[in-house]
Formats: sequence, structure tokens, C-alpha cells
Amino acid sequence: MTEPEFVSGQARKRVDSIRARRALAFVLVCLALGTGTAVAVDVVANPSVPDVALKRATAWAVFSMRLRTWSDGSPTTVFVLADSSPVHAEFSKTVLDTFPYQLRRAWDRLVFSGTGQAPIEVKSLAEMRDRIHATPGAVGYLPAGLLDKGVRIVRVE
Amino acid sequence: MNAHIRRFGLVALPLLALMAANGRADIDWSRPLDQLGLKLPETVQIHGFASQSYLRSTANNFFGYTQNMGSLDFTEMGINGSWRPIPQLQTSLQVVYRRAGQTDNQDLRIDFGFLDYSFLSDARQTVGIRLGRVVNPYGLYNDTRDMPFTRPSILLPQSIYFDITRNTTLSSDGIQVYGEQRTDFGDFQLQVNGGYARTEDPSWKSVLNARSVSGEPSWVGRLMYEWQGGRVRLGATSATMNIRYQPEPIVLSGLIGQNFFSAFPFGLPQNVTATSLHFSPVLFSAQINEENWSLTSEYAIRYSEFEGPGSPVPTLTGESYYVQGTYRVTSDVEGFLRYDVLYADRSDRNGKKTSAIYAAQGVDVPAYDNFAKDLGVGLRWDVTPYFMLRGEYHYINGTGWISPNENRGETSQHWSLFGVSASLRF
Repeated sequence: MTEPEFVSGQARKRVDSIRARRALAFVLVCLALGTGTAVAVDVVANPSVPDVALKRATAWAVFSMRLRTWSDGSPTTVFVLADSSPVHAEFSKTVLDTFPYQLRRAWDRLVFSGTGQAPIEVKSLAEMRDRIHATPGAVGYLPAGLLDKGVRIVRVE
Repeated sequence: MNAHIRRFGLVALPLLALMAANGRADIDWSRPLDQLGLKLPETVQIHGFASQSYLRSTANNFFGYTQNMGSLDFTEMGINGSWRPIPQLQTSLQVVYRRAGQTDNQDLRIDFGFLDYSFLSDARQTVGIRLGRVVNPYGLYNDTRDMPFTRPSILLPQSIYFDITRNTTLSSDGIQVYGEQRTDFGDFQLQVNGGYARTEDPSWKSVLNARSVSGEPSWVGRLMYEWQGGRVRLGATSATMNIRYQPEPIVLSGLIGQNFFSAFPFGLPQNVTATSLHFSPVLFSAQINEENWSLTSEYAIRYSEFEGPGSPVPTLTGESYYVQGTYRVTSDVEGFLRYDVLYADRSDRNGKKTSAIYAAQGVDVPAYDNFAKDLGVGLRWDVTPYFMLRGEYHYINGTGWISPNENRGETSQHWSLFGVSASLRF
């Protein structure tokens, strides 16, 4: 994210405090993951995405890259973390009821038979949030502590 | 000398790449082109792989002269591009360079390249069509058999995935119609290909004892069922591959040597007059995937029919199956254990009847050429998400799936095959 060149002291303070809170949330999330405590992970989307809730089978279809459009026909853009990420593992198990290696296999089956494409892999939770924020049709997942106004929760039922 | 240098270069290149890759953890291999400063639109993806194996056998040859010191003849490299300008349309291409001893022509080939258009795609279903060189929907592993990371072992279970005719099985030139139905109790996928079979595998000529071999219109179809994101996968595949060939007029028994009728038992070589082969396998697949383990099994029954006047063996029915267990020790290390069985003729499982028929013609074909039972065990270590090491050992009874191109002399019934490989992906 680029920072505005001229900001008032107050605005600067506000930005700093938001940053501090985010950093704290991030640290807490990392600690929780590090100690093996389960952290709730939500599917989140760019506010342009028309679907506010998905069946689990539909969520699987979207994240396994078999369903490439939202209900209004607009294209999906899927962001994921690395296979080894604890948040990714938590998301795979609790939201999709599968395992990271199964998602990897599903993507490889598409990519290396030419019948589909892989999702976009991001390096961090912050990049996940920023790119979902910036990309119409984007979907990914975030731990509860990192949600903000730029993304919208998609319920999976 | 030249060949030596060339061979060494081909081996050294991917190995150097692998070593470089392993040493450079800072490189983001998920976006290789970004490293070169190339910014592609997100609708374009480039992926690839490179793999080098070392194989050594106690007897018989597979993918090179694997006896004695072993062989580095098994090299695979591929690059894959796709572009999805709109959600309904994708075009994909995969170019592969492959060496595998005398079983491969060691050249670049397009393993698939096609246009994919889906007429209909919503939360419940997808229906579409693919045009070009399309991957054959065949069992669990054929679709991505090019790519070492997607295989359960260095060598696929050979009873089902004959590698010496892998191009034919892999893809065909024509059209695919596909449909997917998503329900609350699982996903159904149906794919049906119609097209010309590929026949560039060099083993075809020796297997069929033919001067020339060409693909005829063929079809293959598969119905897959997947429950809970692939926790359970069930499949049924059926196909008829049609191949036309011009038989060699006569073959002396000495030249036949070790052969491979067992895998593709197409009749008596010295008086084959058939000019068409219709190969119709029916294949059932099942897989259970849990967090730490997977269990996989496939069973195939293979009908071969030879057309043409005086064909000595008009029909033949073979049978294959394997049972495979995989255990994930950690997320980076997994082991497999597999028992893989091939019978060239299910009514002659020990091969003695077939051997006697050949003997009556003055041709020496050992009974063990008509089957192969392979007990395999191995380890896979994903050193990084982009670099994988593998090692495996096969104890094999029979020579049913080796290539006559590599086994002209004496063969042995009981043999072992040991392999290690290093593979890179991006």
C-alpha cells in the first residue's frame, strides 16, 4: 500500500494506531497458531462478489478451481497461502473439510492436464487481505482478527 | 563421443537446475517469470517441471541400460502455458522433452494443446468442449502422468499405465465433451474423447512387429465420482483404441528375442497378417484419502482384437490390477507400498500355454513374459514445495511390461529395479 505524501499529524496517528492494532492482531494470530490453538478462519471476498453465502460443495468447487464464475457470471479470482501455512491448513480442514495436499492435487490435476489453472499464491495474510481488497471478484480466507472493511465474509454452510 | 557429450549435457542440465533451485530458497518458484522481470496478466499461467532419475536393475532393462552400473537415461522436462481470457474459455499447451532409454524417441513433443470452451457453468454444473490434442481421461493417474510430482512413485504402476506406449495412452487428437455435476453428496465428472490415437512410441513397432503404425479414430470415456473434496474418488473408464499397422513379412525367431506380447499380446509375430488392432480396456478406480494415508486400487480388463485375414490370435483378454497404500509421515515425507499385477492372458496366468504355442512355432517365448508381479516400496521427500527427492525399490516376478527394444537378449524372470529421482517444479 502506498502512503499519502502529506498527512496531518492526527491522520498519521490514526494510521499508526490502526497499524498497531493490526500488528497486534497478527501477532496474536501467529501465537495462537504457533501454540496449536485453533483459530477461526473465514472465507472472505471482495465486496463486488454477489454471493454472501456458499454451500460447502460450491466453496470446494470455487477453491478447487473448477467453478470459475460467481452466481452473476463474473469471474472468480482465488487467493491462497502456501500449502505449509497453518492458516491454509486450518481453512482446508474446517471450511472445506479436506486437506492441503488434496487441494494441491486438485490444482495439479487441472494445471498439468491443461483443463484449468491454479489459484494465486500469496506470501502473507497481509498480502491476502490487500489483494482481495484490490481485486474485483477476489476470494480468499482470513483469520477473524484480520478482517477489515475492505473485505466481506462469505458464509459457508 | 558426441553422443556421450550430448547425453551428459542432457543429464547435467536439469541436475544443475535442481541444485541451483534447492540452493536458492529466496526465489519465488510460484511465479518464475516475475524473477525475469516479465509481468504477465493474471489470466496467463506458466508452469513446468524437470526431473532426473537414476535406475538400476539386477537383470532386464527398463528406461535405458539399467543393468550393472545403472542408467541416467530417464529425464523429463516440461513447460506448460495456459491463458483464460474469459471464464468460459481457456487455451492450454504442454511441451515435453523426455528420454527413457529405447522406449522413447528422446525429443520434444506436444503432450496436449487445445481450446476449452464451457457453454454452461454454474454452482451445480459445467458443460463444455475441448478441441485439439486432448488428454485422455483414463484412470486416476494418466491425465497428469507427465508431471513427476503428481505420480505416486517414480514409475507408475506399469500393469495399468504401460510407460512403453505412454504417448498413445496420454492424449489423442480430436475432441472432448465434458460435463460436471455438483451435488450435496458429491461431484460427478464425465469426459468423453473422440480422436486419433498417437502412435509415436517406438515400442509399438517391435510389439506389433510392424513396419509402420498409425492411429485410427478411437474413443475413451471416464465417469468420476468425488466425495468431500476427493476424500473418496471412484472412477470407471472405458476405451477403444484403434491402431492400423503394416506387418513385417517375416521375423526370424532370433530377432524376436525378448518381447512383450505379454503386455500387448498381439499374435504370433512370424505370420501376423492382421492390419488392425482394436484395444479396449475397461478400468475401475478407487481411492480413499485421509489426512495421513491414502489407499488406492485400480483394476483393468483389456480386450484386444486383431483384424485381418488369418490372424493367429483373433482375440485376447488381459487383466491388471494394483493395490497401493501411501502414508504421510509428515507433510513433507511420504512412503508407499504397492503390489501391481499384470496378466497378458487371463485364461493363461502363468503363461505356460502361450509359451507352448510359440514353442510349437519354433519361437522361444518364456512363460514369464506373459505376466509381471511387482512389489514396490518407496519414499518421497518434498524438500521444498518446488523440489522433491524420491527413492524406490521394486521386486518383480515376470517381464510382462518391459520393452523388446531394450531387451533383445536373455531376460530373467526374477529381478529387482531400484530408482532415485530429483524433481523440480514451478
